Amino acid sequence: MREIYLSGYNNFVLPFMLGMIFVLSWCIIGAIRVILQLPKEDRKRFFMSLVNPKIMLKNIRDWFCDCLFHVKLWKRNKLLGYMHSSIAFGWFMIIVIGHIEVFLYTPERVHQIWYPIFFRYFVAVTESTMKGSFFFFLMDFFLLVILSGITLAIIKRVRSRLFGMRRTTRASITDLIGLYALWSIFPLRLLAEGFTADISGGSFLTKSLNGVLHSFLSDHMNMLPTWWAYSIALGIFMCILPFSRYMHIPAEILLIPMRNAGIKVRHARKGFAKLQVYSCPSCGVCIDACPMGAVKANIKDTTVYLNRQIKRYNEKRIEEISDKCLLCGKCTALCPVGVEGDRMRIAQRSIRKYNLSPDYSNIDENMLLERCNKFVSSTNNDVSSTQNQKVLYFAGCMTALTPVISKSTQSVLQKAGIKFEMMDKDGGICCGRPMLMAGRKEQAEEMVAKNTAIIKASGADTLLLSCPICYKIFKEKYHLEGIEVIHHTEFFDRLINEGRLSIKGSDTRFVYHDPCELGRGCGVYEEPRRVIGRAGVLVEADKNGKESICCGGSLGSLTLSFERRKALTENALNNLTVASPDVIATACPLCRSTFNRYSDRPVKDIAEIIDEATRRKNR
Amino acid sequence: MKEIVVIIGGGIAGLEAASQLLKLGYTPIIVEKSGQLGGHVAQWNRLFPDMTPAKDLVSDLIASSKDANIFLNAEISFINRLKDNYNVMLSNGISIISRYILFTTGFRLFEAQKKEEYGYGIYNQVITNADLEHWFNTGKDDRINGKEIKSIGFVHCVGSRDEKARNSQCSKVCCITAIKQAIEMKEKFPDAEIYCFYMDLRLFGKKFEDFYIKAQRDHGIHFIRGRVSEVSENIDGNVIVKAEDTLLGKPIKVTLNLLVLMSGMVCNPDSTRSASMLSLPIDSDGFLKSSDNVMHITSSPRNGIYYAGACTGPKTVPETLAEARSAVLEIHSRIIGQQK
Repeated sequence: MREIYLSGYNNFVLPFMLGMIFVLSWCIIGAIRVILQLPKEDRKRFFMSLVNPKIMLKNIRDWFCDCLFHVKLWKRNKLLGYMHSSIAFGWFMIIVIGHIEVFLYTPERVHQIWYPIFFRYFVAVTESTMKGSFFFFLMDFFLLVILSGITLAIIKRVRSRLFGMRRTTRASITDLIGLYALWSIFPLRLLAEGFTADISGGSFLTKSLNGVLHSFLSDHMNMLPTWWAYSIALGIFMCILPFSRYMHIPAEILLIPMRNAGIKVRHARKGFAKLQVYSCPSCGVCIDACPMGAVKANIKDTTVYLNRQIKRYNEKRIEEISDKCLLCGKCTALCPVGVEGDRMRIAQRSIRKYNLSPDYSNIDENMLLERCNKFVSSTNNDVSSTQNQKVLYFAGCMTALTPVISKSTQSVLQKAGIKFEMMDKDGGICCGRPMLMAGRKEQAEEMVAKNTAIIKASGADTLLLSCPICYKIFKEKYHLEGIEVIHHTEFFDRLINEGRLSIKGSDTRFVYHDPCELGRGCGVYEEPRRVIGRAGVLVEADKNGKESICCGGSLGSLTLSFERRKALTENALNNLTVASPDVIATACPLCRSTFNRYSDRPVKDIAEIIDEATRRKNR
Repeated sequence: MKEIVVIIGGGIAGLEAASQLLKLGYTPIIVEKSGQLGGHVAQWNRLFPDMTPAKDLVSDLIASSKDANIFLNAEISFINRLKDNYNVMLSNGISIISRYILFTTGFRLFEAQKKEEYGYGIYNQVITNADLEHWFNTGKDDRINGKEIKSIGFVHCVGSRDEKARNSQCSKVCCITAIKQAIEMKEKFPDAEIYCFYMDLRLFGKKFEDFYIKAQRDHGIHFIRGRVSEVSENIDGNVIVKAEDTLLGKPIKVTLNLLVLMSGMVCNPDSTRSASMLSLPIDSDGFLKSSDNVMHITSSPRNGIYYAGACTGPKTVPETLAEARSAVLEIHSRIIGQQK
């Protein structure tokens, strides 16, 4: 390769350089700000994680899998995955190979950062071309890959359903500018390189283009404007990037190591929350995921719009969106970059100022304590199996409103010969989860402290819950060392495996609804299915497991009225009944009563099903 | 030829309408899905406010309508509209052609087990107003017999004025029924403490207020303003009721030997089904929609179709009877008008 211009510079690189400097400084300042906004212990944790080889390896893997290959999107839809990874990985490869070319042929130009981008303009082929033809081919190949991705992107704008997306985000004006700039970069690059294909060399794409459009491309009067256009497109894209959804490209690079370091959203707007907002690619996967989408008017209340409004500091809309959400966590589970829609909303709620705050300090836990310390006198300390377990059963408020669950659970425990006591037989203190969901952390902590005291004093070694809402907070926020926290579905599964419950199956067809707090919330998917499978025939809903649809009754929403939840419940029921089950089984008292209101077939808790199945045997 | 009028439902509205139609010289045909006449009132023991035996009312009505054609155990298979007639096909294979159909399809009692927090069907000591009347009539109920009864609770508005139970309407009669039943129980168990948990007391009818005063003054029945939040069971099988006394502003808890749920009136799905065959409008509360709620409560928007009684919303017995007569009068004037 031989250089054509001694200076190695032309004015057309200016737009690109301007954009590049702008975006680089913006991102560096932004990254420093985010890191500085982290609480001290989080910041320390983040830096420590960067020297931990195990986490670093995971970071590298995630960078490749998420940022470049978009593995999560591939799993969702092949076409959607190809579209994203072709553009991201193709572009990445063009930049990498461009730099390799500069290193190999004109090492003295390495410090000129525009050089690899506009390499073909500045050089001409020599006899040693054959050495470079490999790179020429690669460059053209990846350019073709990107162009195929861009073509798909254009098709997606019109027919998103082909890509497995029913609804997509409505683009903002900056998003549109970014989008059109992005679309034009690569065709312009192809055209620009087409001019120089006969001078600087090229491969199947650029060479052939040069041949086909010879009359236009051989006129060098047209050359410089095309290179200018290419550079301007790059410049516009980079200048608009911080203000558009394309900010997710640099933001995700920082988000991945922070997430792997175990950093959580602590502040509504600063630090990790800010990073999540900027990492949102506005892809709209959360729109289809959201259970509120059953009513079209709710589409604007999905996570993607929350992020957009946070960027715009539109406090009124932020409040509306974050209060309306059911906190089912499905958007978080499906988000390809890992924006935590539910936690973000709780964080927004937590900065709300209230004039009145409930005070729970006057609740007398001593009275409850006395009633519960049943196991203290017991001397049996062997807890190796359920045989000698001392189980404390906390039914919770929701189960108190569906007494059949608590009654069935107690009946099953009796049949299995479990030594148990009710923690809230005669009233108890709320687990605190509803307050936590409302963003009122202090109130929740008051209840957590009181309940912890009661549980610890009871002398029990197992805390049994039949409500997943309680289960989640007992698992996550309570410090109950030495006490196992277990949901009744898991406990029943264990009792069956140990042979302490004998269950007679039937040919009743059950469909299992994964409650949000149990499935996505605590990752319990298998045990309930195993248990139901013993009592009857288990069929699956259309969307299940991680993609299960919230029943609509969730405590998470602060503003969704009763009437407006009806459509959500009916939508969830339609999803559950595709395999025409006889009974809808669930493991959450709230899901049970919500479904019961509109269901055309019986809705039962797992405890009821098991209680009936064990009774069958006895008869 | 004598004009035929098909009456769907053999409750008190249907019987009263039939007897009035007979007096006017028409041929009423009663279609009743169950095996007996009298509907819900036939299951009741005594009626407020004068403690009239329900049996007397029903047997009077049956006696005065005995000349009507009555099909028991018959349901409507389908109804279709001919030119100016309706063709009513019954489940027993009989087909009736008539120009007039009177809906007296009534209501259905709210299924108390749907309010799960009250524990009906789960706890043995929780019964409904209908169960209690059944016990008054027959004296047979394991939940009441053989048990020492020292305290009884009545829960008003079970499945009425309750959005979550999908019934926002007031059932009108439960307030006074609860007071009536509370007095009756006090008479049977003079030592028992009786509590009524209410939201509002809606005592609109003649002598209702006197009844309420009497219950408090003469019988010492406690009225607690506040909804029951939850019901649980203790080891003895008694029920523990938690509620809020909104007048005192304090939560309360009471142990009861018997809890009576005042199940409200909800729309009858059978009447909705028959109405849909004629594309009659259904109101937002699920009951049939009259063409006007003030002037034409017994008229439907379709020619020849009339309503009477609780099929258009909760009604008391006198209201139902009055509506039956009024519907008959409307049918009569229409027939006269057509003959001219």
